Amino acid sequence: MTIRISSLFNALLVTTSCILGGEIATAHATSTPNQEIPSSLIEQGHYQAVLGDCMACHSAPGRPTYSGGFPFPLPIGTIYSTNITPDPEHGIGTYSEADFARAVRQGIRKDGSTLYPAMPFPSYARLSDADIHALYVYFHNGVKPQAIAPPENKIMWPLSMRWPLIIWRWLFAPNVQKAQQRTAAEFSDPVLARGAYLVEGAGHCGACHTPRGITMAEKAQTAQDGNAFLAGGSVVEGWFIPSLRQENRTGLGRWSEQDIVDFLKTGRAPTGASFGGMTPVVEHSTHGYSDSDLHAIARFLHQLTPADPHEQPWQYSPQTASALQHADLSARGAQVYIDRCAACHRTDGHGYGTVFPPLAGNPVVMTADPSSVVHIVQSGATIQPLPTSVSAFTMPSFGKTLSDREIADVVSFIRQAWGNQAAPVSEQKVKQLRETMPESTPPSKLPKN
Amino acid sequence: MTQERDDLMGRHTHRVLTDILSPRPSRRGFLQKAAALSTTILWPSSRGEAQAHTEAPYTPVFFTRDEYRLLEQACECLLPEDENGPGAQTLRVVPFIDHQMQTPYGHGARWYMHPPFQSGPPELGYQLPYSPRELYRTALHFLEHYCQKTYQKTFISLSRAQQEDILTLLEHNTLTLGDIPGVVFFEQLRSNTLEGAFSDPLYGGNHRMQGWIMLGFPGARADFMDWINQHGKAYPFGPVSIPIPHTERG
Repeated sequence: MTIRISSLFNALLVTTSCILGGEIATAHATSTPNQEIPSSLIEQGHYQAVLGDCMACHSAPGRPTYSGGFPFPLPIGTIYSTNITPDPEHGIGTYSEADFARAVRQGIRKDGSTLYPAMPFPSYARLSDADIHALYVYFHNGVKPQAIAPPENKIMWPLSMRWPLIIWRWLFAPNVQKAQQRTAAEFSDPVLARGAYLVEGAGHCGACHTPRGITMAEKAQTAQDGNAFLAGGSVVEGWFIPSLRQENRTGLGRWSEQDIVDFLKTGRAPTGASFGGMTPVVEHSTHGYSDSDLHAIARFLHQLTPADPHEQPWQYSPQTASALQHADLSARGAQVYIDRCAACHRTDGHGYGTVFPPLAGNPVVMTADPSSVVHIVQSGATIQPLPTSVSAFTMPSFGKTLSDREIADVVSFIRQAWGNQAAPVSEQKVKQLRETMPESTPPSKLPKN
Repeated sequence: MTQERDDLMGRHTHRVLTDILSPRPSRRGFLQKAAALSTTILWPSSRGEAQAHTEAPYTPVFFTRDEYRLLEQACECLLPEDENGPGAQTLRVVPFIDHQMQTPYGHGARWYMHPPFQSGPPELGYQLPYSPRELYRTALHFLEHYCQKTYQKTFISLSRAQQEDILTLLEHNTLTLGDIPGVVFFEQLRSNTLEGAFSDPLYGGNHRMQGWIMLGFPGARADFMDWINQHGKAYPFGPVSIPIPHTERG
């Protein structure tokens, strides 16, 4: 969630050289008088905030919730997310509901300047008036005001000018009414319609999972816009973004509805576990979705046709397991696999259910770009504990204990074993990826069971 | 295994070591086969061989040079290189003990070390006022003193047989080192030697897992599910250790 945004910024800077300033919105309007607010409405608004994952960007470690200050380091300086608590000076306390709706759905601040499209307003455009109302009520009545300013943005003029963003917004942000009608008219089945509303709207899944054009606008905003929608394919902060469509090998083609629901609710499914930028999304946002919403999302994703219809269906091959179980380690990387991986992921590549994810048939292992799987080996990964699944499971990092050659060997091994049949990885590629290796969490920082 | 060595290592060790070290052709043969099975059976790949020659000799931190040389020979008496495999020196047992002496264990940091210090029955355990560091320092001092008095030579200039005689005296508690009963020091040295030979290479001993290879121990592998139902089959894989930076594998 948060990692994507700095990369998005970087790319935008290069392509359009338009930079946002970072002055904090100081508003002058008068605040609305406080009325009696039903707690159910606040609760609804809180749920909307969970759906939209507002927390991911508008909260930062060591600062009060929703007070902003999350840093986005860019080549030309660092900018910080804004305070969206109801504080009148530092937050959005003076925003009327119309101001608020305009900011969330159209990316226009109260003072008329344009928000940087790190704020996923092209997705939020389709939020219904009722949901916006609940969200507004929650941010004004359910969130504690924090009279604290995010750190000053450190960007120099002329790069701090915001006006070029207006052009971007004109070109790419959808018209709110049209967006709402479009998503609402997509399906007659209420469950699918709800799924579309969540995925295309508040969930803003496309912000990461839909590839972007050279203008940095998402190539498709909805399922109706074509096969690019949620087709994945880019590498963000070292993690390859997988497709959420129905490709058999590299998409969700073999994930059941329940697998998708479990993954979003607990960060783990028998078919795979979350890692990289998806982990905080599950942690802040999707684990709090209601079961019926999760099922709606899964059903919606299930009807997205494969972007690549020619993928050979994956079929398990027992050959690898049989070789390893007869002590045949002649395959490239087999020795490292048996020494360092097989205890958890097993010689048959099936892993252990939701505890140690499978490598056999795992879409992430088979994508054309091997960045994710190389980075997991280099940096390790932790399946985070959540209220919905309290156990944390950690894979150690091998970035220092295995050489580039050994990592290339073992990643090539798992990409080819068990019927995976993906292309091998060169030592050169591993070496190159070492430079962008995500930070690994030191064991002392890991949650304790 | 020689009779002398059995005596030196004590009855308990005798039992354990006969079990694990006695020349059983099947095990040795098996190990050779396993090695042939894979050229990279050991983590330290073949380049480790070349590195071993260029590696600087270990510089002791706690022990003095003289103490270090004495220990090298004493430990080699306890665990000599023979047809079963490498000895204490090849396994880098003394560097391991030198590391140990720098840990809280070496300082006796978690022991109750307040007077009065009174000898008691064996079931009350260790009663001396010495931490392992102090025990080594004091005992080695008196050991050298004994060699000078008896042979007019340092321990390391004695013949192997003479060295083994001295260690046997210690083992039988017929030699006292200052106020340290010989057997107390002997047991300390024997325990630390075995620890240095067979603990994970991460801690400085068991060099290149040769101690484990000697035993046929597969190391920290954790999972043997594939082999549970392959009755009568020898486990084919060599050992693995706790990973260390690949640049430091020696």
